[in-house]
Amino acid sequence: MGRLVLRRLSATVPVLFLVTAGVFLLLHLTPGDPIDVMMAESVDATVKETLRRELGLDRPIHVQYAAWMGRLLQGDLGRSIRNGEPVIENVSRRLRPSLELAFFAMTISLLVAFPVGIVSAIRRNTAIDRAGATFALFGICMPNFLLALLLIFFFGVTLRWLPISGYTDPLEEPWNGVRSLALPAITLGLALAAVVTRTLRSSLLEALTEDYVRTARAKGLSEWRVIWGHVLKNALIPVVTVLGLQLGTLIGGAVITEYVFALPGVGRLVVDAVFARDYPLVQGVVLLIAVGFIVSNLVVDVLYGWIDPRIRSR
Amino acid sequence: MATTNPRAALDVSRRNFLRLFAAASGASLVSRDPRAALAAEPKRGGTLRVGFYIEAATMDPHLSGSKIDRQVYHNIYEPLVTLDVKLGIKPGLAESWQQPDSKTVVFKLRRGVKFHDGTDFNAEAARFNFNRMKTEPKSVRKGEVASIDSVDVVDAYTIKINLKRPDAALLATLTDRAGMMVSPKVAQEKGSELERNAKGAGTGPFEFVEWVKDSHLVIKRNDNYWNKQGGPYLDRVRYRPIPDDTVKLQSLQTGEIDVMDYVQPRDVAAVKADRKVVVVDVPSLADFAYQLNHTRPPFATKALRQAVAYSLDLEQIVKGVWLNVGVPANGPIPPTSWAYDRGIPPIKRDLAKVKAKLAEGGQPSGFTFTMTTNNIPINVQEAEVIQAQLREAGITMKIKLVDSATLISDGNNKNFEMISYQWSGRPDPDGNTYQFYKTTPGTSLNWSGISNPQIDALLDKSREVSSQAERKKLFSELTKILQDELPMVFIVHPIEPKAFSPKVQGYEPIPDGMMRFKDVWLA
Repeated sequence: MGRLVLRRLSATVPVLFLVTAGVFLLLHLTPGDPIDVMMAESVDATVKETLRRELGLDRPIHVQYAAWMGRLLQGDLGRSIRNGEPVIENVSRRLRPSLELAFFAMTISLLVAFPVGIVSAIRRNTAIDRAGATFALFGICMPNFLLALLLIFFFGVTLRWLPISGYTDPLEEPWNGVRSLALPAITLGLALAAVVTRTLRSSLLEALTEDYVRTARAKGLSEWRVIWGHVLKNALIPVVTVLGLQLGTLIGGAVITEYVFALPGVGRLVVDAVFARDYPLVQGVVLLIAVGFIVSNLVVDVLYGWIDPRIRSR
Repeated sequence: MATTNPRAALDVSRRNFLRLFAAASGASLVSRDPRAALAAEPKRGGTLRVGFYIEAATMDPHLSGSKIDRQVYHNIYEPLVTLDVKLGIKPGLAESWQQPDSKTVVFKLRRGVKFHDGTDFNAEAARFNFNRMKTEPKSVRKGEVASIDSVDVVDAYTIKINLKRPDAALLATLTDRAGMMVSPKVAQEKGSELERNAKGAGTGPFEFVEWVKDSHLVIKRNDNYWNKQGGPYLDRVRYRPIPDDTVKLQSLQTGEIDVMDYVQPRDVAAVKADRKVVVVDVPSLADFAYQLNHTRPPFATKALRQAVAYSLDLEQIVKGVWLNVGVPANGPIPPTSWAYDRGIPPIKRDLAKVKAKLAEGGQPSGFTFTMTTNNIPINVQEAEVIQAQLREAGITMKIKLVDSATLISDGNNKNFEMISYQWSGRPDPDGNTYQFYKTTPGTSLNWSGISNPQIDALLDKSREVSSQAERKKLFSELTKILQDELPMVFIVHPIEPKAFSPKVQGYEPIPDGMMRFKDVWLA
């Protein structure tokens, strides 16, 4: 297990290098300049030049990248051009809401997907299964922003059960915090639940045709014991893969949901930073998101071994 | 019959509110009805919750380059002079001022004003502020105070500003960030920390409390405020960023916020019909136009610029795209300004003239060009309407949609044929004209590259002459030349509607769009 983790971690170095270099290049090739954006209404060219020089933006792009990399190796992500704060502060402030949102969305999706997926598989081709399929189709087709607005309209405006927008940290104020994250978590959780439901159903169906299932049934085990004790664990691998990939997306890619609900998360941070051409900030967030993907995939790999000892021994 | 219906009570305050601020049309100025002000006695207390589209960038007015910052500043800092609803200049931290000659302004400062940190506001403090604006390397105010040569302290409460050249727009410039006074002690002690924390820094009716980035910014009532007339009444004001317009509006409708900074034109009709919300139409100083590139074909040819201008039906654009939340523009100066000339109509659509101008420009069968504009819904709609109108006139326009960083870069590099330019406007007409039309080599806001000796002379003269009537004549003349030379095609002077909960009372809309909460109270 330790070897697996170590091997995986060493493979991340070239990945991170390629990601950061690619983003750096793309960002600098895009027209636009951070100082011009910051001072769009100012005519004073000398102030702009001073700032550019001070921030090193007048140097060739490879020099800028090398300087950034050099600082990174010393653990310094630099400072945001727009607000002058250390990138690490900007990012860590935004990471907490994103992680909490991802956690709640994941929880909701699992709570929905497991019952629906299992029942759909057992009662294949019945009305229940078709209802499950309809739900999944709905969840996959429904655009995030539309679902978000519908939820706001229903639970926020009409029923007034939940706040419409804004963020309260559940670790500081548990009740208000959970309420503030409820609608965005449902928005993300339902879409995710749809994918997980379908994956779980099909992989359960496949596992149900295995010989050991017939044997277990022949032993006289209840259907419930068959599913819970034997089939589910064998059907989990594809589900864990999907969840692992989605976790990374939830942390860095929930832009629209964060935008609609005014949640100060990582996704909005990176989009705003791109629009402002805030190079160090974009670099910092992209690095973080890349690390997030790598770590969640690593966790998935470790989970494989835990779920299926055959993988561990290989 | 006595009524216990709470709606009825709401209606009264709503009607008063509307009577106070209803602008009959975008062109007319809002006037305050003093009878309505007497209708109810202001109440102290409460927290006003304000929703903005984005959060502030910095708390240091000398380093600020973003409009949203000013919304907060106008409550915690005070400028030397301020604006009234008709864009006239009235005393602020300066009680009075004189101009002994065209290159000198003497300000008598108000006595007994203290910064929130307890230090005195006086002539030394004022001089410190001007020096900071001029010398601080990151100062964004340098351009605005460029005409100031030096500031002398005459006595403890008098300063003399010596100008390098006459600057008729200076007073108007000093009504905003360039005139705002920061406590020298706080500025020196805090340094760059002031950008995040403005505790003690201002003299205004509210004091900075805290700013939790990405979450909220809170200010509280300054109980030692020098002006004992009227407010501040509110205990606190809490600003929150809500980027999505629809969600911000719903937050207001459900009472999560009390004020929102801007209502999209598409929402205005629906919001006005909602009894839980009060909309105030604030006419703005803004000037939304398209710059035409004079330095390359096709718009290096004047006749082709005119062909485009005569193809457009501004009434239709303002009605169809802006849903009448704005007025057709006759030039860069908005109807809210004293310099606006009602006698000059906006350019009218005239397809016969288009034909003649196309022939004159050597393109009798029409031509093709590209418009660059922001990829936001209302800009895209406007571009599509313009495209259709031009097509009817035999001109083909392609649309290039970009983000604002690219737009600015294309504009600065003159890498465009026609480009959207949406200027938020300045209280003095100089701020809507000089930097756009004066011959300026190198990078500037004169994206069109226009260089016209007649315009240059008018612009320079408008800075030297101090009589408002005379300046108005100069700006009228300028507007006429601009309609002929067309560095820009002018489209609309938008209205910036703001929306309030009916319990918010006493808001006075000033066309600079800034929300000053000194006299605001909660019913």
